[in-house]
Amino acid sequence: MTTTTTTRTASPGRWLATLVAMFTAAFVIGCEPPAGQGPPKEGVAAVYDGRIIKWIIPYSPGGGYDEYGRLIAPYLEKYTGARVDILNLPGAGGMRGANELFNAIPDGFTIGLINGSALVMNELAGMPGADYEIGTFEYLGRTVADRRVLVVTRASGYDSFADIWNGGTEVKIGATGLGGSTYVDAVIVNEAFEMGLNIIHGFDSSSVIRQAMLRGNIAGTWGSWGSALDAVDQGRDKIVLQSGKERAKDLPDAPLAYEFVNRTADPDRARAILDAWEALHAVGRPVAAPPGTDPERVAFLRQAFDQALHDPELLAEAERVKRPLDFASGEGMARIVAKSKIMPDDIRELFVRAVLGEL
Amino acid sequence: MGIIEGLTSGLLQAVSLSVFPYLLVGAIFGLVIGVIPGLSGHFAMAMVIPFLYSMEPGAGIAFLLGAHSTVAQGGGLTAILFSTPGTGQNAATLLDGVPMRQNGHGAMAAGAAMTACFLGASFGAVALALLLPVLQKVVLFFGPSEIFVLAFLALTFVAVLGKEDITRSLIAALLGLLLAMVGVDNVTNQERFTFGLLELRDGLALVPVILGLFAIAEMFELFVSGGSLTGANARPLSARETQRQVFRGMLAAFRRWWLVLRCSSIGTAMGLIPGLGSAPAAFIAYGHAKQTSKNKETFGKGNIEGVIGSEAANDAVEGGALASTVAFGVPGSSSMAILLGALFVLGQETGPNMLTYHVDVVFIMIFTIIIGNLIGMLGGMFLVNPLSRATGLRGTVLVPVLIVIVFTGAYAVHSAWFDIFVALVFGVIGYLMKELDYSRAAMLIGFVLGFAVEKNLYLATQLDGPDFILRPIPLTLAIITVAFLAYNIWGIVQHRRERDADGG
Repeated sequence: MTTTTTTRTASPGRWLATLVAMFTAAFVIGCEPPAGQGPPKEGVAAVYDGRIIKWIIPYSPGGGYDEYGRLIAPYLEKYTGARVDILNLPGAGGMRGANELFNAIPDGFTIGLINGSALVMNELAGMPGADYEIGTFEYLGRTVADRRVLVVTRASGYDSFADIWNGGTEVKIGATGLGGSTYVDAVIVNEAFEMGLNIIHGFDSSSVIRQAMLRGNIAGTWGSWGSALDAVDQGRDKIVLQSGKERAKDLPDAPLAYEFVNRTADPDRARAILDAWEALHAVGRPVAAPPGTDPERVAFLRQAFDQALHDPELLAEAERVKRPLDFASGEGMARIVAKSKIMPDDIRELFVRAVLGEL
Repeated sequence: MGIIEGLTSGLLQAVSLSVFPYLLVGAIFGLVIGVIPGLSGHFAMAMVIPFLYSMEPGAGIAFLLGAHSTVAQGGGLTAILFSTPGTGQNAATLLDGVPMRQNGHGAMAAGAAMTACFLGASFGAVALALLLPVLQKVVLFFGPSEIFVLAFLALTFVAVLGKEDITRSLIAALLGLLLAMVGVDNVTNQERFTFGLLELRDGLALVPVILGLFAIAEMFELFVSGGSLTGANARPLSARETQRQVFRGMLAAFRRWWLVLRCSSIGTAMGLIPGLGSAPAAFIAYGHAKQTSKNKETFGKGNIEGVIGSEAANDAVEGGALASTVAFGVPGSSSMAILLGALFVLGQETGPNMLTYHVDVVFIMIFTIIIGNLIGMLGGMFLVNPLSRATGLRGTVLVPVLIVIVFTGAYAVHSAWFDIFVALVFGVIGYLMKELDYSRAAMLIGFVLGFAVEKNLYLATQLDGPDFILRPIPLTLAIITVAFLAYNIWGIVQHRRERDADGG
């Protein structure tokens, strides 16, 4: 656009340049919410009214995190009165966004959606680049907890988790990079039950894993419940195992990992591993403000987030686009994060090795 | 719904009053995004998504894909006129587009590029339509073993590109391979060439590297040598002459329909392969255009066939890339991942259900790509004139403005300050390479393919065992690679002999 405006010579194409500029301007203006409606606000609400909240999303446009952000942002605008601008800061497996949020000016105008479970693990493992302190964020609440599922293709011939267990080294499970969530889930459950499955990592993305499943190169993979839905609905894949302490309402037929602890040689150890695993999943995807944010503003944002996530319109929208929501309050999140960091030394060591890719 | 029925219904919907205006607005928006370096197709789509919540499926798809389809056209335009490729896919266009501009044929190159884009995109879309009945089988054709051999075959095109000076080209290509290794290797979790920098852990981003190698290097040169972007010999053209050049360029693209067809097939085929992306496709098509041209020696010095070949391929990719998204709901690229998310928002199911019950939606996509690119071509025609006037400006006026745009573009990809630094460093490298006569194209090919070669070699050995190369498809491809390489090496040896004979 700047290039077109450098043109000063009269030319037949100039009207078009103007048209394009006008169009772009209209587009940008069209994105802004109408300001100055309703009665004047008081207190903290007045501080936020018409201002801009920067919302950090730690992944690129188009991913699951970005979709959650763009889904929820309008409702956050509705209840804060501020404009919410999404800022994608991808990099270092979500740690770049978390670091930026951690170091942002704590004025209550920067918030971030963070990949909680992985951030806790990276901090525990002392991963290079984990320059945040997960326990010190001011949590506004949680959008969704991680519900992880093991999916296998129907074509693979494995009909249940027991089949897979019996298959042992014959079973190929795909995963992305070492230390990624699909990898950690696969090796942790493998370790808890001492199954000896053949976990093949190094896939570029979950899409490439799906492709390999379609081709029959691998039997299955771990993933979030939401991402597995499509292929399950189409009858291609089957969910054979789910994380969580009780079976999800809309997933009554897939057994929990917990249901298999008694099949192992050391049920207590298996249970301890799964407990730590569950505590991490509970962290899920929280929204947080930088440490040291003014308590009054945190309280205001918490309330707005609470209202936004209970807005019937948002709930309906989320249902329609198959993005499950699982709200937890800001106060609750602080407890969930604290709890997730506590685990026995041997279990912690196991998780650290999983995250560092040494398992 | 039958295919013929779906085709008619899709076409009627695409040109209906409730859909077409969105397609038009989307296409112009995409063109504008393409003109701005750093902002790519998937950025255009992400910007559009918030509007989809209140839209009808047909209109939403037209809006979204319309915006996506014209980005390459806008990017090709600025690649030629300002050496600032909008996105990675326009990098190959620089190789001959820039020399053409310097010879005073910039507008012609732009006309040819936009027409080639339109033709390539149409080819890709039609190919997708023809493949519909066997789409699922075609998509599953390519696994890690096949992709590894194909990427390796693509790498050997360095031999074609750098025929004139094979030693320097190999050095550049190997440097490119090394650059591809920067970052944390997700197979071994080892940091490679990161120098302990967090910013380098994810590797080098493609766009800042390209902007540095070509655009910033060009700015340096302009600043050192003075003059303007059009080159010393070219005189400024009147508006009418410029327009005439544009039409001549467009005509040239139509005349070389056989080349367009071949390069489009390369693009479509590479689009079918998940994870390769459109930048390699454009380079391979460029290499192919050079390999089959009668005037090989003018490539890189302003041969219009180089522009046509690479632009035809980079838009033909889209038809192929749609295949796995439509067939299985498995996206083959980041843009397609966004499309898939958007289809959810619009309440559309992909995969077998779409192919069986909503094939008209697939045809809306197909016609959107074709019509969107047509709009992009017509809109771009009017953009060439004002834009090409600016290329005649003095370097001292233009360089500061372009530097601002380029830095903004480098920053915009990941909102990262570090990427501006990357662009600057590669600007210096690019300038030195140009001065010392090392092929930047060879380096880019190494860079864009290095990752695919390494990653898929690992996966191939894990999934199919070390003898994966002996399976029928990889073996066939490997034989083609060896034959291709042997043919070219033989050509190089011949060339040397002749030269020595001449010299002696």
